[in-house]
Amino acid sequence: MIGAALILVACGGSSTTGAGLGSGPLLVGVLAPFSGADASFGPRYLAGCYAASLSINGAGGIGGRQVSCQQFDTRGEPADAVPAANAMISGNSNLMGVVGCTSDEASTVVPILDRSHVPMFCMTGQSEFNKTNFKYFHRLVPPDSFDAYAMIGSALYGPNHPPYKNVALVFGDDIGSQTFVGPAVAALKKLGVNIAINQAIHLGAASYRTEVASMLQTHPDVILTETIGSAGTYMKEVKQQNGGKVIPFIGTSATIDPVWFKQVVDAIGLQDFLANYTAVDLKLSLQGAGYDEFVTELTAADSKFPSSNATTYKGKSPTVHLYDGIIMTALAMVAANSSDPTVYNPKIIEIANGVSGATVVSTFKDGVAALKAGKSIRYVGAAGENNFNQWNNSQQGYNLVTMDKDGNEVVIGELTQSQTQQIIDAGGNA
Amino acid sequence: MNLYVAALGFGLISVSVISIAAVGFTMQFGITNMINLAYGEVMMVSGYAAFYANQAGVNIWVALIPGALVGAVLSFLLNRFLYAPFQRKGTNLIGMVIISLAASLMIANVMLPIVGYYTSSYVVDQGPLLRSNGLVLTTAQIAIIAVAVILMLGVHGLLRYTRLGKAMRATAANPTLARNCGIPTQRVIDVVWLITGALCGVAGVVAGMNSENFSVASGAGYLITIIAAAVLGGAGQPYGAMIGALIIGIVTELSAAAIAPEYKEVVAFAILVLVMVLRPQGLLAKRGALAAAG
Repeated sequence: MIGAALILVACGGSSTTGAGLGSGPLLVGVLAPFSGADASFGPRYLAGCYAASLSINGAGGIGGRQVSCQQFDTRGEPADAVPAANAMISGNSNLMGVVGCTSDEASTVVPILDRSHVPMFCMTGQSEFNKTNFKYFHRLVPPDSFDAYAMIGSALYGPNHPPYKNVALVFGDDIGSQTFVGPAVAALKKLGVNIAINQAIHLGAASYRTEVASMLQTHPDVILTETIGSAGTYMKEVKQQNGGKVIPFIGTSATIDPVWFKQVVDAIGLQDFLANYTAVDLKLSLQGAGYDEFVTELTAADSKFPSSNATTYKGKSPTVHLYDGIIMTALAMVAANSSDPTVYNPKIIEIANGVSGATVVSTFKDGVAALKAGKSIRYVGAAGENNFNQWNNSQQGYNLVTMDKDGNEVVIGELTQSQTQQIIDAGGNA
Repeated sequence: MNLYVAALGFGLISVSVISIAAVGFTMQFGITNMINLAYGEVMMVSGYAAFYANQAGVNIWVALIPGALVGAVLSFLLNRFLYAPFQRKGTNLIGMVIISLAASLMIANVMLPIVGYYTSSYVVDQGPLLRSNGLVLTTAQIAIIAVAVILMLGVHGLLRYTRLGKAMRATAANPTLARNCGIPTQRVIDVVWLITGALCGVAGVVAGMNSENFSVASGAGYLITIIAAAVLGGAGQPYGAMIGALIIGIVTELSAAAIAPEYKEVVAFAILVLVMVLRPQGLLAKRGALAAAG
C-alpha cells in the first residue's frame, strides 16, 4: 500500500502529468521537530507556512487550488523522521512541497523526498549539502559552518567590545550543534585566537555545574555557543558560579528564537541577557512589499498559534525564508502550468534567480499577474534577493544582532564581505 | 578552586534529585510489579502544578506540596484506571511496560498544547553562594539535599518501623500469602501508588529547581537516569535505589571533571553495565523485591 503510494508520488504526485494545475487542495508538509529537545524549531516553520498559504489562497490559490499546511513531527531524531517522512508522502498525493528538514533529520529525509520528487526547502546547515546533487533540495541559508565563521567575525569585529582573544566553545553534543565546532576551531587557530576550552555538553542533562566550573577555570573573554534546550541551565550556572557575573556569549542564528530567549532570560535575568548576548543572523532585507505582505499574512495567522504568538516570528530568518520558499514553489507551479513536480521543480530556481529581463515581483499575487501577462519573473521576497548556485544553495551574508526586552531581533552591525571571507578562508571553507 | 571537590558537591545535588525519584520508581516496581515508564511524565505534570502555584505567588518550597499531591493523585489514578485493569487481565510484564509507554506518550502530548513548547522556570531565591574547602553550593541547593535526606529517612522509617511498611514488604514478597494473612493488599497497593506518586511529584519539582529550565520533554530525560539508578541498586530495592543514585550522581560529575563532559554519562552507564555483568540482580537485591539488603 505504502509502496504503491510512493510509486504514485514518484510518478508525479498528483493526477496531472505536466499539463494543467489540476484541482483540489494542495498541501505543504512541515517536516520538522515539534517535540523533543528541538521542539521550538517546528512552530517557526509552521508560522512561515501559514503566512504563505494565506498569501497564496488570498490571491486565488494555485490555479484555484487552495494550499494548507500540516505538521509532521520528526522529534528531531532520524529514527522518528524516516517514518514521519514516509507517512507524509504515502498519505498525501497532493503534496506540493516540504519545508523544515533541519540538521537533526535532513541526512535521512532528503534522499527520501528527492526520490519521491518532492521539492523541499530545508533548514539544515550540514556541510554535506554544500555541493549536493539532490535536484529537489533547496537551501536558502548558508551551511552551519558559516554561522561559526560569522560568530568568530562577531568576536573579532563586533561592535561595543575589543576583539575577544580567549574564546570558549560550548556546543551541544548533537549533530546540528557539533557542525559548528570543526570550522570554528580551524578558523580560530589559523587566526591566532586562543581556544580557552572546547566543550561538547550533553543536551537535556539536569545540570552542567562541573562543566561550568571547568569552563570558568579557563577565564574566557567570550563564549561561542549553541546549546538549544539547555542554554538556560548552563548560563544560570555560569552566573551562579562566577559571582553573579555573566560572561558575554555569542549565539548561532538558531538562538534568535522566542523559546530560547525566554529560557535564557528566565535563567539569568533580562538585564544580564541584554548586556551580554549577541548572535549572528543571515542578512535579511526585512523591508519592501514582499516583507510587508509576509507580516500581514503572519499577523492573520496569529490565531493558529494558541500557545504563543505567530507575529514573534516576523523577524526570524527561518520563518521568512521558508515563507519565500513556499511562494516560489507556488509561482513555479503557475509558471510551469503544472502540478507535476518534475515539471515545476526546475522553475523554482529560475524564478528565484530570474533570467535576463525578468520582471521583479515580491508577492504571489503580483507574480501570478506578471506570468499571466506573459512575462518571465524574478521573485524578490520577504527576505530579499535569492542567488542559487549550481548546488541549489542561496546565501545573503550576515548581520550581527541581539534581542530587545521583548525578544525582538535587533541588528547591531554587519560583517563585511571581506571580513567574512577572511574567516571562511581561515576555516578552510568547510 | 579544586574542581574535583566542587564536582563532588555538585554530585550531591544530583544524587538528591535522582534518589527521591529513583526510590519512588523502584518501590512502584518492587511492590506492585509495575515498570512505570510514565514516571517521568508524572514528574513533569507535578512540576508544572508547582510551576503554576509558583506563578501565582506561592513560594516554590511551599509549592512542593501541590506538586507532591498532583503526583500522588495522578499516579493513583494511572494505576487504578489503566495499569490495574490490565494486570487483573493477566497482561505480562512486557505488555505492562508497553502500556506505561503509551501512558507516557499520552500524558506528554496532552501536556504539550496546555503548557506549550516554551521551557519554564521557577522563581527560586537561590540564596547566597556558599564556598567551603572547594565546595560551591547555593543555599537552595543545600535545601534540596536536606529535602532528599528527610525523604529518604522517611522512607526508611516507613518501611522499617510502621505496620504499613511491613504490609508493603509483605505484599511485595508474596501478595497471595499477604492477602491470606489478612493484609488488605489492594489498599496497600493504593497507598503505595499515592506515596510513590508523591515522591515522584517532589522529584519533579526539585528536578525543575535543579535544572533551572524544564519542559514537557524533560521527563523522558530524567527517566533514563532514574531507571539506571534503580537497576544499579537492584530493581525493587529502595535502599539500592539510594545507593544507585549516589553512584550515578557522583560518578557523572567526577567524570565530567576528569574526562570530557560529553562522556560523563558514558562512564556512569559503563559502571551500570559492569555491575549488571558481575551482579545481575543489582547491588542490593536478594531474591524478591524489597528483601533485606544484602
